[in-house]
Parts: sequence; C-alpha cells; structure tokens
Amino acid sequence: MKSLLILFIGAIVVLFAGLGKKKGLLQPLALIASLLALGASVFDLNMGDATGLNERYADMFGFDQYALVFTAVTLVAVSLLIGLTGWGFRTLSDTLGDNLGLILFSVCGALVMFSFQNLTMLFLGIEILSIPLYVLAGSRRDDLASNEAALKYFLMGSFATGILLFGMALVYGATASFDLTRIAAAISDGQHSAGMLNVGILLILIGLSFKISAAPFHFWAPDVYEGSPNLITAFMSTVVKTAGIAAFYRLFAEGFIGAQGFWSTSVAAISAMTMVLANTTAIFQNNFKRMMAYSSISHAGYLLLGILSIGNAASNGAGALLFYTLTYSIATICAFAAYMVVAEQNRDGSFAAFNGLGKKQPLLALMMTIAMLSLAGIPPTAGFFGKYFLFTSALDEYPWLVVLAVINSAISIYYYFKVIIAMYFSREENDYAAPVPAGFRWVMLTALVLIALLTILPGSVYALI
Amino acid sequence: MSLLLILIPLLSSLAIFALRGANVRYVALAAAVANLAVTAAAWAGFDSSAAVNHAFSAPWVPQAGISFSLSMDGISLLLVALTNLLAPLIVLSSYNRSFGQDARYYGLVLMMIGALNGVFLADDGLLFYIFYELALIPIYFICAIWGGDDRIRVTLKFFIYTFIGSLFMLVSLLWVYMQTNVEGHHSFAWTDLVQVQLPEHTANWVMIGFFLAFAVKMPVFPFHTWQPDTYVSAPTGGTMLLSGIMLKMGIYGVIRWMVPLAPEAMHTLAPTFITLAVIGIVYASIIAIKQSDLKRLIAYSSIAHVGLIAAGVLAWNKTGVQGGLIQMLNHGINVVGLFYVVDLLERRLGTRSLSDMGGIAKSAPRFATLFMIITLGAVAVPLTNGFPGEFMLLNGVWKYNFWAGLAAGFTIIFGAVYMLRAYGLAMFGTANESTERFADVEIRDWIVLSAIATLVILLGFFPQIVLNLTDASVNRILGAVQI
Repeated sequence: MKSLLILFIGAIVVLFAGLGKKKGLLQPLALIASLLALGASVFDLNMGDATGLNERYADMFGFDQYALVFTAVTLVAVSLLIGLTGWGFRTLSDTLGDNLGLILFSVCGALVMFSFQNLTMLFLGIEILSIPLYVLAGSRRDDLASNEAALKYFLMGSFATGILLFGMALVYGATASFDLTRIAAAISDGQHSAGMLNVGILLILIGLSFKISAAPFHFWAPDVYEGSPNLITAFMSTVVKTAGIAAFYRLFAEGFIGAQGFWSTSVAAISAMTMVLANTTAIFQNNFKRMMAYSSISHAGYLLLGILSIGNAASNGAGALLFYTLTYSIATICAFAAYMVVAEQNRDGSFAAFNGLGKKQPLLALMMTIAMLSLAGIPPTAGFFGKYFLFTSALDEYPWLVVLAVINSAISIYYYFKVIIAMYFSREENDYAAPVPAGFRWVMLTALVLIALLTILPGSVYALI
Repeated sequence: MSLLLILIPLLSSLAIFALRGANVRYVALAAAVANLAVTAAAWAGFDSSAAVNHAFSAPWVPQAGISFSLSMDGISLLLVALTNLLAPLIVLSSYNRSFGQDARYYGLVLMMIGALNGVFLADDGLLFYIFYELALIPIYFICAIWGGDDRIRVTLKFFIYTFIGSLFMLVSLLWVYMQTNVEGHHSFAWTDLVQVQLPEHTANWVMIGFFLAFAVKMPVFPFHTWQPDTYVSAPTGGTMLLSGIMLKMGIYGVIRWMVPLAPEAMHTLAPTFITLAVIGIVYASIIAIKQSDLKRLIAYSSIAHVGLIAAGVLAWNKTGVQGGLIQMLNHGINVVGLFYVVDLLERRLGTRSLSDMGGIAKSAPRFATLFMIITLGAVAVPLTNGFPGEFMLLNGVWKYNFWAGLAAGFTIIFGAVYMLRAYGLAMFGTANESTERFADVEIRDWIVLSAIATLVILLGFFPQIVLNLTDASVNRILGAVQI
C-alpha cells in the first residue's frame, strides 16, 4: 500500500511540476518516486520466507508477499524506463510532465492488479493501467503512426474490457460474489450454475489474453508496438505484460482454482497457439520493432505455462513467473534502449540499422547481445533460468507443451540472432557518430549488473514466493 | 583447484574485453600458461585411488537441487590437461593472423577455454549443460566474425544444429532429474542422477536425447553435415578449438553422462550407434581421399577418427573406453598440429589446394620433418601417439562385434592413404614458383610445431602415462554402470 500511495502522490507532483518552468526536475522527481516506491515494497518484503505481511483493505486489496514481489519487479522495470526518459522524451518538452505523470499513474494501475481481492478492483486496475497508455501511445501527436497506434490500442482495449466485464458479470451471476475467496468457496461447494460460470471464466480468459497479447487475440500488438514511441513500446511489452500475467495468475489461482478442469485445456491451447504463431511469424519480420512485438507475444505464450502449473503443489509457478517477468523486462528494456540510440541515426528500423554497431559502439552492442541471448534463453544468461523454472513448473502435467515450448525457443534463436549477425558480422557498416546519452549508459550498466546477479543467484528471486 | 581452472580464463577474458590494449595477446598467453600451471599442479596432487579429487561445491539454486559443484577424476583430468595444454598453443598460433591485436578474439578464446574446463569438471547435470552451451557462444562469434566466405550461413547452421541437439539433451536430463528423490527434493547431482533406474522404454528415449546432442557435437554420421563447412570457414584458432577440444565434449558426455544415466538402453541402442559410427568412419575416409583442399581433408579425417573413438567407447568395455580416452588426447594434439601446418601453408602460399603445392620438402627440410612426425602420428604408425589409442579402440570394437571391428579397421588403411597422399602432394613432387621460395619455419612456428612433435613421440613411447591416469577411474565407472 505504501508503494501505491508513494507512486500516486509522485504522479500528482510530477503532473503539476510539469506546469512549471523547470523541466529538468521532472525526470529526477519521477525517478525518486519510483525508487521510493521500490524501496517501500522491498522493505515490506519478507526475504527468504514466503509468508510475508498481509495487509488487507476491506477485502478489496491484499498486499501480500505475492503483490509485493511483483510490485518490486515492475518498479525495477519502471525505474530503468524512467532513466531513459531524459533523452527518450526530449522532443516532448511541453508535455513532459504529462507523460511522466501518466506513466506513474499507469503503474498505479499495475499495482492494483497485483493486489486485488475483488473483481471490481481487478477491473479498476486494468482501466487505470490502460487509459494512460492510450494517451501515451499517441504522445507523438504529429506522427500518423503514433496516432494510429493510439486509436487501435484504444479500440481493441475497449473491446477487451467489454468482454472482460461481461465475463465478470457472468461469474457474479454464477457465484453471487465479486470477492475472490467467496468465488472460490462457491465453486468448491458446487452451489453455482456451472454453465454460466464456465462462460464467464472463458470471457475473462479472452479479456486477459487481449491484455497480455496471447494468440488468437494478439493482432493489435504488432501495429501498436510499431507505431508507439519506442519508450512506450518498451513500457507496454514489460510493465503491462507483467501486470497482466500476475493478475491472471492471482485470479485463476485464488478464484477459479475449483474450475481448473474446465479452463486448463483452454489455457494450454492458447499457450500452444501463441508460441507457434508468434515464433513462426517473427522469423519473417524485417523490422526490429515488429520482431520485438512478435517476440513479446511469444513470451506471453511461455508465461501461460506458469498459469498451467496452478494446483501443482510440487512446482512453484508463481516464483517462475516472477523470475521470468523480471529477466524478460530487463532484457527487453536493454534491447529497446539500444534500439532507440540506433534508430536515431538509422531511421528505417530494419535489422540493417544495426550493421557494424559492434565496432562503432561496443557497449551498446554488448548490451544488445546479452539482451538477445537472454530473450532467446541461451545459457548461462538469466533468461535461461527464467525459461528453465517456467518450463519445469509445467513439465509434470504438460510434457507435450513443454516440448513445444522448447522447440519454439530454438526457433526464436533465428530471429534474435539476426540482430547479433547485423551488429557484428555484417560487412557493411553504418555511421554511429552520436555518443550514447548519459542516462542510457547508467541504465545499461545497471541492467547489466542486474542480469549478472540474476545469473549468479537465480534462487534468491525464485524463492521469494 | 577446479574452480581456479574455470575462473582464471573467464576472468582474464573479462579483463581482456575491458583492457582492449595492443598487448592483450600477451595477457591471453599468460592466462593460458597460468592455467596450464594450475593443471600441472592438479595433476601433481592427483590421487587416482580416490573417487573424486579437488572437489568444490557451492549451492546455487538449492530449492531446485542445482549446485555449483566441480570435481575431477582421471577422465576429467585427462581432458582438462588436453584443453589447457592446447590453449597456449592455440593462443600462440593466433599471433600470426590479422586479428593479432584484436581484444575480442583473445577474450572469446579464453572464455571458450573456461567453459570447456567447466564441461569437463562439472559434477552437476545442469551445470554441465550450462557450460556445454556457454562453450558454444564464443566459438560462434569466433567463427562468424573472423571466418571466411559464407561464414554467416555456415556458422548459423552450426549454432542451430548444436543448440537444438543440446535442447534434446536438456529434456533428457530433466526427465532423469524428475525421477530423482533426495529427501523429497529433486537433485541434479551426478551421484543422484546415476542412481535413477529407468524402465527400458523410457531409458531409450532418454539416451536418444543425449545421443542427439553428443552426436551433433562429435559429429557422428549422419549429423556431421555442419562440420566440414564450419571447419573450413572458421579461422585457424577456431578450427583448432573445434576439432582439438570441442568435439571431445561429445565423447566425454557419452562416457560421463549418457551411458551412466541410461545404461538400460545400451542393449537396444548401442548396436545402432556403433553402426552409425562405423558408417561415418568409412564414409568420411573415402571422401577425405578425394579432397584437394587440405583443410577440408583434415576436417573429414577428423570425422573418421572421432567415429572410431565413438565406436570404441560405445562398445563399453575396458579396452574400448581406455583406448577412447587416450585417443581423445592424441587426436587433439595431432589435429591441432595438422591445422597449424595448414594455416602456415595457407599464410605463406595463399592457397590450401594440394594441386598448388609440391616440392616444399626441398626448400624447408625442418618444416617437412616436423610435418612428417605429426602426419605419422595421425596415421597411427607404431611408436607414435596415434598407435596405442587406435589399436585399443579397434581391439575394443572387435571384442564387441567382429564385423564392426573389421569395418572400423579401414580407418587405419584409409588414414594412411589420404594422409600420405596429402603429405606427398604437398611436400614432394615438382616445385612451383612460390614453393621454391618457401622459407623454413620461423621461431614461433618452430616452438608450436616442435612442442606438438615432441608430444607425438613422447606419448607414442609412453602411453602408460595416460593409461595409468585413467585406469582407476575407468574401472570405477565401468563397475558402477552395469549394462
């Protein structure tokens, strides 16, 4: 709760400070808010012991260990992203306060999604997360692609919300409650209308799949990712995805566990479809951002394996999701940070933009390489442990799906390596005259240290829940 | 001690990346020599009667039964010795090339050495897998940055081939891991994994998973298609790493992990695997005879030799395994020597084609002598290092099956044919303009080649040095793994 309050107050302060003249203060203010909130969540965490504190607020919020660790993961990502805004948002000086404020407001929504105990709070969380993003996606007002992205995101998001709401209404109809524990109790008692419940769960599943961009509800993602400003794309593919999957897990593990027999098949099917479609499409992309969009879709498919581990006492699906979202977020932010610098000089956005980066900007190229290796899950990068934990969590019950996931990770090497090949092995070389902006250097070094720490001590994060 | 062997190269590789000065190659050589010294110290303090030596263990992900544990027995020590013996030679041989000043190259070579040591020392299944994959990343970059034409396609094929192979191994490893039970938890420790009894049907799948990974790496027919192209397009240092050390990872994996973890499957699958290996021997030998590109010829000869080692090891009797071990060491030494010779010829003459050579023996007698000794080692003439290994391997395969032994015996005949043909075409015959002016070896070449030639003769006279080292360990592993 402390983190949520700090972020909220920070967002308001940044928003109003944006009206003033000292634009240089805005980024430090936002960063301080985010780091304070991160500190608050880590302070409350119970290290090494999964039974942490459990603040409950009128059965609406429950800030338990689960909420706290995901809050921490998100705030790490947000802090890194805010570190990039100094240079990334430099063209938006008149609306800088609005943009930073909106990012912080959006994160408040993510925090609500981690801690909801009631379906209404889940709905509010999703809306608080999404509405600022609709604006942020269109924050380059004079750019047609950005406007298109905003409109597409808004329309698709609204549809998804509508479907989600309909599902919640049906679940309410079946179980007579919005409260997670009461829903779970009603399902296990058998005192509910099974047909209505199942349709409700299915609709909620579809709504959430839209949010985490799982197939076949992913069609909005490539266009929106490509059109949005780079930083916002990074935000969408890390924070939004983490929030979506964490809410997904809590809802299905705490609310719908009794109906697992019904929804697990659908989740497995969505997961399989997402992995296969995203990876086979990503192979054919020539544009870096579109490739990253499909990559992000494919990661949604892997993340769903964590949902499938619900109910298996021997595996720690939540810990696996936590570790995976953390490594995935850091690697994705690194990749986008490097891309932002590259795209500044080579605007076409294709893989050829990276030609010769290895010689001209070794640090950027190294970061990008580690990010790509980590996303591909190649040992010994942190991404390997992410995939390892996630895949083993589902291995007991879905061996075929894990084999499919392994094959898909092998396919993914092909498109992640396109970037590496362009950076190091291409005979043609572009100019990269501009120096790396100062904020970027710090963000990248922090990210490098984090990835190294996660590689050396994966167990310390994995065992937090 | 074991930890040092991994940390010295990995840390010095990081240091080299950070330094980027003109003198990084000396740092690289110093690190490689330091590692060799540590290896020598480890050998001196080695007690072959103990099951493990120089063990190091630290918990890594205790919740999932993963630990960072290293140890060595005679088999590991032999391969560690091979790796660290060749490392300085490989670094030294790279001084001649244009990347002589490039920090990235030396950093990658050292990273590779560290990972290879890790593969041979790992006592934990997942740690083994991680080092196995870590070794792939630097060699990929070495081949793709400094390789010849068509390197991007060739190396990507190599990477994807081996990576997919290892993924199958990971699945097999995980399957065995899921069957372990140490106080209610799963464990990746080698000793726990070996305890698992699998039903024969499952064991077959587990073994096939392992075999795919190792067969690609060695490579065994029909998984070898990546190999000749990669060897030819890679820079010489990369080819030496690949052929001298990296393919031994596959054979080591068979001895240490594949057979002990799924011995139940040996009855069903060993005949198939041995047949594939023997087909590979004959097939690669015949292709080698027809080659005119010297580097490609040695690449194919490598497939033939490794096929024999694989067949001998898979026969899983003492002669075969011991022969495989000694031959791993000797093949590593010989093949690095041969690739060094190829590099020298290519550097001087600008060609690898045998038809453009000839008459070099007259203008460079010392070079011709050293090349002859290494060639004889590769042909397995008695009293050179190749002989005891090939003899024991053939004996082992023979004991397993007469016909397989007979077919594998072709390796010696064919080996003599293609190696002596290549030697004759390159060194004798009529000289042309460029070979007439062929100067004899310089001091650096002389150091590397004579070190290798000395080893060829020394190990030919005293194979017992190696056999004694591994004897107890082989007995132990054969005794523990009944098939």
